[in-house]
Amino acid sequence: MKIEKVKKKTIPAALREKKRYVLIEILADKLTEKDFYFGFWIELLSFFGSKGLAEINPRLVVYKDNKVILKCTRGKETELIAGIAFIKKIRNKKVILSPIATSGSVKKLKEKAEFD
Amino acid sequence: MDLVYGQPLKELLQISSYFKEQLIVLVKTEVSEKAAKQAEQIPCYLVDESTDLNKIKNKKKAVLGGSIKNNEFAVKINADYLLQPSNEKQFFDLGLAKKLADNNTTVVLMFEELLDKNSFERHQFWKNYMEVVYYCKKKGTKFFVASGNKEPLNLKHPKVRQNLAQLLGLDEVNAKKYLDGVALK
Repeated sequence: MKIEKVKKKTIPAALREKKRYVLIEILADKLTEKDFYFGFWIELLSFFGSKGLAEINPRLVVYKDNKVILKCTRGKETELIAGIAFIKKIRNKKVILSPIATSGSVKKLKEKAEFD
Repeated sequence: MDLVYGQPLKELLQISSYFKEQLIVLVKTEVSEKAAKQAEQIPCYLVDESTDLNKIKNKKKAVLGGSIKNNEFAVKINADYLLQPSNEKQFFDLGLAKKLADNNTTVVLMFEELLDKNSFERHQFWKNYMEVVYYCKKKGTKFFVASGNKEPLNLKHPKVRQNLAQLLGLDEVNAKKYLDGVALK
């Protein structure tokens, strides 16, 4: 019996859920990607709850040179940026997070962050 | 603009210049006022009922609310800022919002105090402040979120504070306007 390869159907770009990207600068020494994501997730979860976090749907896209690009649902970037205020410490290290820019594409933010 | 308590001014200056914003430092004595002025920050006197108001005429005044008595005191002395009008209990109403709007007083939420609460108190705090913003919006009273920190490393970025105000119910234009122009009275 021959197994036919079926190509997975992808949702057209126009029908996909819209998203926004936020560039954040981190002021802390020696903070790994995992540590940041864990700390960030915990604080957002404690404030917005499971439902709120699911609606925001934050995802880490790029983490480089103490700059991070986060992805979220369009229209929920206010919540994502406000959520940053609740982060004081990550793994007992004091951090200062400052949002730099918000955009609809990663490319623009990468240019702004001067990633290669 | 951000409102903070008097603290190591050097470190504070470094972080505020990184955020590119000027700070209003809450002071109680003339010595700390001078120090704040030397650090190129705006001093603002934190007053209560025991303070001699004649000594600080024509200077910026802030009153720490949190009770009906203190909130009324802010109205009485025509203070520039009313800090923390409510806490876990609500002491703010439409009448007070109207009086503050007439006096051109700005209502300030000191964010650090919210952070220090446990989860149960925090939700009450948040609910009360949503109500405060609702009243402020109705009567046109100025409102903004300040860091209100006692440590320089806990300063919050102005964009973050603007988003917090928006989350409390303020519209984007007013949230930015009040944050930019609180000291331009």
